[in-house]
Amino acid sequence: MKSMTRGQWFSFTDSLIQDNTRDIIGVQSKGKRFHFALLENAHDLRLDHDVTLLPPKKFLLPTHEELIRFDISRPFEVSSSKPDRAQILIGVHPYDVIAIQQLDAVYQNPPVDDIYAARRKNTLIIASDILTIASRSFAGSLGNHVVTSGYDLLVTDLGDIVVIDEGTSAGRELLKSFGECREALTPEIERVTQLRAELPGRYRHKLKVDKWQWTELLLNNSTHPLWEKNARKCLSCGTCTLVCPTCFCYDVDDVMDINMKEGTRVRTWDSCLLRDFTLIGSGEIFRQAPVDRYRHRFYRKGVYLPQRFGFVACVGCGRCATQCLSDIADPLNVMNTLAASSVETRLDLPIPHKKPHHLQGPIFLPKSATIIRREKMTQTDTFYEIELDSRKPLGHQPGQFVEVSIFGMGEAPISVASAPEPGRNSFDLLVRSVGNVTTHLQSLTVGDKIGIRGPFGNGFDAASLRKRDLMFIAGGCGMAPMRSLVKYVLAHRSEFGEVSLLYGCKDPDSILFNADLNVWKTRTDIVQKFTVDDCPAGASWDGNIGVITDLIPLIDFDPGKTTAIIVGPPVMYRFVIKNLKDRGMPDDNIIVSLERRMKCGVGKCGHCQINGVYVCLEGPVFNYADIKDLPEAF
Amino acid sequence: MKPRVAVFDFASCEGCELQLFNLEEKFLDLIKIVDVVSFREGMKEHSDLYDIAVIDGSIMRPMDVERLKIIRKKAKTVVALGACACIGGVNKLRNQWTSENVRREVYGDANLEGNPLFDIFPARAVDEVVKVDYYVPGCPIDRAEFTKVITAVIMGREPRLPSYPVCVECKLRENQCVFELGMFCLGPITRAGCNAICPTHRKGCAGCRGFLEDANMDAFKDVLRKYKIPMDEWLKCFDMFNCKIKREK
Ligand code: SF4
Ligand code: SF4
Ligand code: SF4
Repeated sequence: MKSMTRGQWFSFTDSLIQDNTRDIIGVQSKGKRFHFALLENAHDLRLDHDVTLLPPKKFLLPTHEELIRFDISRPFEVSSSKPDRAQILIGVHPYDVIAIQQLDAVYQNPPVDDIYAARRKNTLIIASDILTIASRSFAGSLGNHVVTSGYDLLVTDLGDIVVIDEGTSAGRELLKSFGECREALTPEIERVTQLRAELPGRYRHKLKVDKWQWTELLLNNSTHPLWEKNARKCLSCGTCTLVCPTCFCYDVDDVMDINMKEGTRVRTWDSCLLRDFTLIGSGEIFRQAPVDRYRHRFYRKGVYLPQRFGFVACVGCGRCATQCLSDIADPLNVMNTLAASSVETRLDLPIPHKKPHHLQGPIFLPKSATIIRREKMTQTDTFYEIELDSRKPLGHQPGQFVEVSIFGMGEAPISVASAPEPGRNSFDLLVRSVGNVTTHLQSLTVGDKIGIRGPFGNGFDAASLRKRDLMFIAGGCGMAPMRSLVKYVLAHRSEFGEVSLLYGCKDPDSILFNADLNVWKTRTDIVQKFTVDDCPAGASWDGNIGVITDLIPLIDFDPGKTTAIIVGPPVMYRFVIKNLKDRGMPDDNIIVSLERRMKCGVGKCGHCQINGVYVCLEGPVFNYADIKDLPEAF
Repeated sequence: MKPRVAVFDFASCEGCELQLFNLEEKFLDLIKIVDVVSFREGMKEHSDLYDIAVIDGSIMRPMDVERLKIIRKKAKTVVALGACACIGGVNKLRNQWTSENVRREVYGDANLEGNPLFDIFPARAVDEVVKVDYYVPGCPIDRAEFTKVITAVIMGREPRLPSYPVCVECKLRENQCVFELGMFCLGPITRAGCNAICPTHRKGCAGCRGFLEDANMDAFKDVLRKYKIPMDEWLKCFDMFNCKIKREK
């Protein structure tokens, strides 16, 4: 450990400010509170702060941030955002250091967020020991009042003397370039040790339950009356997540410059407490009730993120408790209340283990692609054949999806409708016009450019289906991802047993892929059955009229030997699955592909989550047995 | 061809129209992407051929209704500009009194019988009379939001207003909540989009962008009680832009 006088500490800070190669960000007062801001004068730096209004996260994951820049007046012009200047954050408290380590784990977990990673690499952290304890903080109970890693330098302001611990070689260099410091004396080090040792006792608020028990406690209490009671007071204002150092979900939107030529794709902090967080193009909202959103936040902190990353995603800073107007956001109060209750119904919310993703390079930069065939299929659906301009195949598996970009409009997740075929570079998409991107796509034509990211997600595991009888059950535009699998199976027909396809639509006019269906009709090795909800007078229709479950009894199948694959609108699953189970089909033999708001595709933005499961990473294709207990799944 | 835009005013202070000029050099950019064919506050020319009608102000009289319906018929897209047009705004304050009393209060005993200019009914927002396609709320409007909406309309993209409260933007600007400063703020129940301009300047949100349809009013009233905001102050603030009282002539 090193030490320097107070005067030297100011000169050190000042020397950092004077050196113009980096932005120096330090804690400063803002009214009666504190914030991290660009430091212009060493004397503005405060190390006696209790807690800042927003966490230092805003300098690693800015509230608004440009991801890409594009020019729509050209066929396809896009570039990644420019990297920021290097920066040093001064005055980061231990709990915030730990929160930054969590952000690092999330954003640098594959697929790595290259924009975050670049900024992080360019950031040095000068942490500081806590001198003043924030009124609602309980970091002491979590052991987050001190840190032993995650900083480049850690300063302890002892008034006359400032003691500095060098955490990394970069920190050591920084100090060395300043020069004026000496080895800390034993009594100085003792003062630091004592200051830290006394901290836990100084916290007014104490957690009655160890943080590693949060997961159990939450899983045992999903129906505790506290959820409803508190949620009634919830304003759905998002404050609790926006001020939280460990929350990291974001939204993405395209913003045009007023010249209508250039524009940017911007990411902005988002909150799972806001109603439209889970809204998808077709208008469905998956976490509609305020209580579901309110509870989700605690489960994320205490169950989902611990399961995925091995840390409790609350560092006890107390920001949410101070800033929630209704004062219902404090994890300490919630956990202490749950600790006092007896076990209710036990929930299990496992995250299915899936293949990790190995995307490389700039994850937000779409690849240029061209529409090479376009065919209007129904009133609302259009078929596109797409080729990447690199002429390389997409490299997808049946059931995966891509993010389609139209600059200025945004991105939409769309399932790939074709199977990977040897010698074929292009791929198929079926687009239903439901939102801005998909509606605009309808107006594009052969030769037009679009952006493609992906393929994303885990598709159908064809190997696990080998030798089995297959029953494909598709509803509406669920036929698009289904087609990719059907095509694959038919191309490798001898590897599979009996194959049947049940397909239901709104009316005869909404049937998709008629050309394929007609070809398949001529084959004797696939049974096809069709139904429509409704058949207008005069339409020619020889299939069933009624719901999709009407078709299941028409197939003679052995539930043990058959795997059912279901893709359709959200409402369809429950009925079809019940029907299959009534016929004796084991859960393990049911495969589903689910639709959610996959906004980033890379497991960061949070919008597609079903409880702790990221549909864009673990899904969209799931084994029913893996997710049947997730309350948010069906 | 560039889309033709016409701006019309009804009952308002025209401040929102002024905000368009306050776009300054951006206004010059704006007229590169649209043809402004009618704008009483800014030009002498007028044309009845327009694609986008921008409506400023509330609807107060039968003669307004007629004029508005004609505009709606001619325009492909109608954009309501500002609080008066979007929600009725301060104009609705007068709906607490009968039109008779309002007239007497302002004009005394002057004989206005039969004069259509003074033939008023309770103030209405534009969408209480004709269909509105898009809204640019606020008193006055936020210039950045206006450009966002207008560029979206021109691109054929549905401009979505935020469906969350002002507190979200207030947090992103790292403001100390004005409740902590002993003030009263309608931010938790008011639609965001203004970038929390009032709380950022240490003034409570007055609700000029309109309340969220799913605002949790009961929870909000609990907050007001918690911070000991006097009841008469609440009511004044609630009514300022969002007066719900309706009284016929
Ligand atoms: S801060 Fe409080 S009121 Fe606002 S969303 Fe969070 S829990 Fe609800
Ligand atoms: S949940 Fe609350 S106390 Fe925990 S880290 Fe987030 S803001 Fe701090
Ligand atoms: S000042 Fe108003 S808008 Fe800002 S957080 Fe407080 S209540 Fe919300």
